[in-house]
Amino acid sequence: MDKSTTPLWDLHSVSKEFPGVQALDNVSLSINTGEIHALIGENGSGKSTLAKCIAGVHQPESGQLIHEGRVVELFHPIDAQAHGVATIYQEFSLVPTLSVAENIFLGKPLSRSRFGGIDWEAMRSHTSEILDQLSIHIDPDAIVRDLSVAEQQLIEIAKAMSKDSTLLIMDEPTAALGLLETQRLQDLIRHLAEQGKAILYISHRLDEVFQIANCISVLKDGRLVGTNPTTELEMNDVIKMMIGLEIGQHYPKEINVTPELCLEVNNISTEAGVHNASFDVRIGEVFGLGGMVGAGRTEIAQAIFGLDELVDGEILLSGKPIHVKSPSMAIKAGIGLVPENRKEDGLLFNFNGAPNITLSRLDLILRGLFLNLRQEEHIGQEYIKELNITPSALERSVQFLSGGNQQKVVIARWLFSQAKLLIFDEPTQGVDIGAKIEVYRVMNELTAQGISVLLISSDYPELLAMSDRIAIVRDGQILHISDADKLSEHRLLSIASGAEANNNQNQY
Amino acid sequence: MNNMLKFFRSAIAGPLVALLIAIVLTSLTTDRFLTTQNLINVSLQVSTVAIAAIGSTLVILTAGIDLSPGSAAALTTAVLAVLVVNLGVPLPLAMVAVLVLGILMGLFNGFFSTYGRIPSFVVTLATMSIFRGLAFLITEGHPIFSISPYLEDIFYGKVAGIPLPFIYMLVLYTLTAIFLRYTRSGRAIYAIGGNESAAHLSGIHVNRTRLLAFILAGLTAAIAGLLMAARLNSGSPNYGVGLELAAIAAAVIGGASLAGGYGNIISTLLGAFTVAVVQNGLNLNAVPAAWQNITLGAIIILAVGLDMWRGDFGRWISRLFSSRQETEESK
Repeated sequence: MDKSTTPLWDLHSVSKEFPGVQALDNVSLSINTGEIHALIGENGSGKSTLAKCIAGVHQPESGQLIHEGRVVELFHPIDAQAHGVATIYQEFSLVPTLSVAENIFLGKPLSRSRFGGIDWEAMRSHTSEILDQLSIHIDPDAIVRDLSVAEQQLIEIAKAMSKDSTLLIMDEPTAALGLLETQRLQDLIRHLAEQGKAILYISHRLDEVFQIANCISVLKDGRLVGTNPTTELEMNDVIKMMIGLEIGQHYPKEINVTPELCLEVNNISTEAGVHNASFDVRIGEVFGLGGMVGAGRTEIAQAIFGLDELVDGEILLSGKPIHVKSPSMAIKAGIGLVPENRKEDGLLFNFNGAPNITLSRLDLILRGLFLNLRQEEHIGQEYIKELNITPSALERSVQFLSGGNQQKVVIARWLFSQAKLLIFDEPTQGVDIGAKIEVYRVMNELTAQGISVLLISSDYPELLAMSDRIAIVRDGQILHISDADKLSEHRLLSIASGAEANNNQNQY
Repeated sequence: MNNMLKFFRSAIAGPLVALLIAIVLTSLTTDRFLTTQNLINVSLQVSTVAIAAIGSTLVILTAGIDLSPGSAAALTTAVLAVLVVNLGVPLPLAMVAVLVLGILMGLFNGFFSTYGRIPSFVVTLATMSIFRGLAFLITEGHPIFSISPYLEDIFYGKVAGIPLPFIYMLVLYTLTAIFLRYTRSGRAIYAIGGNESAAHLSGIHVNRTRLLAFILAGLTAAIAGLLMAARLNSGSPNYGVGLELAAIAAAVIGGASLAGGYGNIISTLLGAFTVAVVQNGLNLNAVPAAWQNITLGAIIILAVGLDMWRGDFGRWISRLFSSRQETEESK
């Protein structure tokens, strides 16, 4: 380990605020050349925000960014690139219809002369050189679309490194990769570090982080908990650092579970990546699905709601097998979905409140062949009162409502649909604290009325506090089901992140 | 003043203002516009475009587009003529047959735009060519005259002095208005145009609804075709050229958003009147046909443009009125 005296990047008391959230709070961090520096934390802890400050996407309100001893200000990603920062985001920036070489030289093709055409030969040979340096064996003429996701990821890195970068920021680089591909990527990252590049590696997969990183920085609620060399850390310490000690925020949880079963899921599998999942949800129960982003929780919900066809297994609702092949069949069977992205998948901005509420069960407001618009208006008023939605929801497009009010309009739709089971996919994402508590209160009311809730949430304290039981999902499989009060955030995180799965393999 | 503001914000204001402008301009440039005979002419002219515009509006509301009604109308006239004149089919039966043909043409457009997953723009661009090609094929390229003496009555008949086509139009618009406002399918059309994904997740049958919109568009195109055939008592593959443009113009002048979900059928009717008055005005002023095409195209750009710029325009109008309101109050 050769360390020069001045770090490549030195962040000094960096703070960044978004409306209503202190995303980064006085974070100080050093990144050295040749170092693989892992940045970890729970969802929303500020990892990505920190990376975006170094990448010039966000500008911190206070604090300094010091590059090789000099204070710099990065107003734009181009400024960061000029200082040797290359970023690889979760979404690729490759043009799928172009070749590898064209992608690497995108926007700056090599030309024969100032006025001449493109020098294809030079571009090809340069690309080969870059790929060879990184030990990537891919044909420069291959079309990006034809490459696997992992190969595209490697090209993305090659493209980033072709700009003579000194710091490579990688945000969840293995999210879309399999085991072998992950290993190949890790080899490349080590190779880059040996060449003297610094790597900022953002991930929530602890097992991976421990395999690859030299040192680990943990963020929690926008604050740096600590930076330590990996050799001085145990996985357990890191989990404790991520969770912190301040559990016991106020959640108005009421227990309304009954012994009867509402939903039974027996060994279902789908092509979307659910493998042999089984669980049941009782009437009045909040059943939580925990796990990392991309673990397969949403896919399980999609199977139940008829969006993905089952290739195996069966689903029973109120003891009867249901074969839902579309959302409309699921709704008729008594299932509702409050989607993760309410603007794109939930609300109709060309309608005001009442028609948004009645949409899933227009048959309930039919009088003969025609919709009873007066009844619809009454229903709108009823739910606005019941869920404490702002009255302007009846007169204006739901576009103009606050996030919390919008969410409650979507929930009202399912209350009106007389669903027996409601799937909540990240129900409190992007809503303020007050509206969050409203959503929890609604959940209590639902369960008190004998409705069951399947809760998907990446907010672990919320998941633990509001669920009666929790299933932990990873790679489309259910690893563990237990009562929520017997599960600690520590345990949830260690199973979901794969830390404990390794232990299990050793034990059994 | 508040009522004035409310009016300017309502959906019907834009098309009504456009129609008034067209009427004022036309009556200023020619004194023949406001004669009874001419107004009857306009009402006959408007009916064909307006009926085809019903279908265009329904499809546009689902965020699709139908470029085929002109050709569909031509094929309708051709099939009607061939059935009656060449094959001796009784007129009533032939009329039912061409209405079924309209439904089938809509079904074809709708099937490929939904289950076939081809953008409706492409499908109807193709059928625009296919339907007219078929019309040329079955008529061997020649118009067929004198279909039936009874056919003309459908077009030239009057009830209480009102031309029949005008009455068909009003009936169809009334039915469509009820359909859109008071039926599940009508609501579904708005829903998938507003947010297809949310509609799907709320149990709306997206493909089925879109298919229905195309079928109704095929049907209204066939009715428009029937009126064209009745007007000249003939069938021809050359009828209905540019009808799709006039129908789409009517819908967008009426404020229908090409992105789907926004628009209402009464505004489309006003839009159709605007198109008809403009065409009539150009005719009365003996403007060459080439300029009529150019004008229609310009109107479409202006109508869609005004919709896009409405935010700025609306703010400007409200400022205009609110400042005047203040000065009035200060008096």
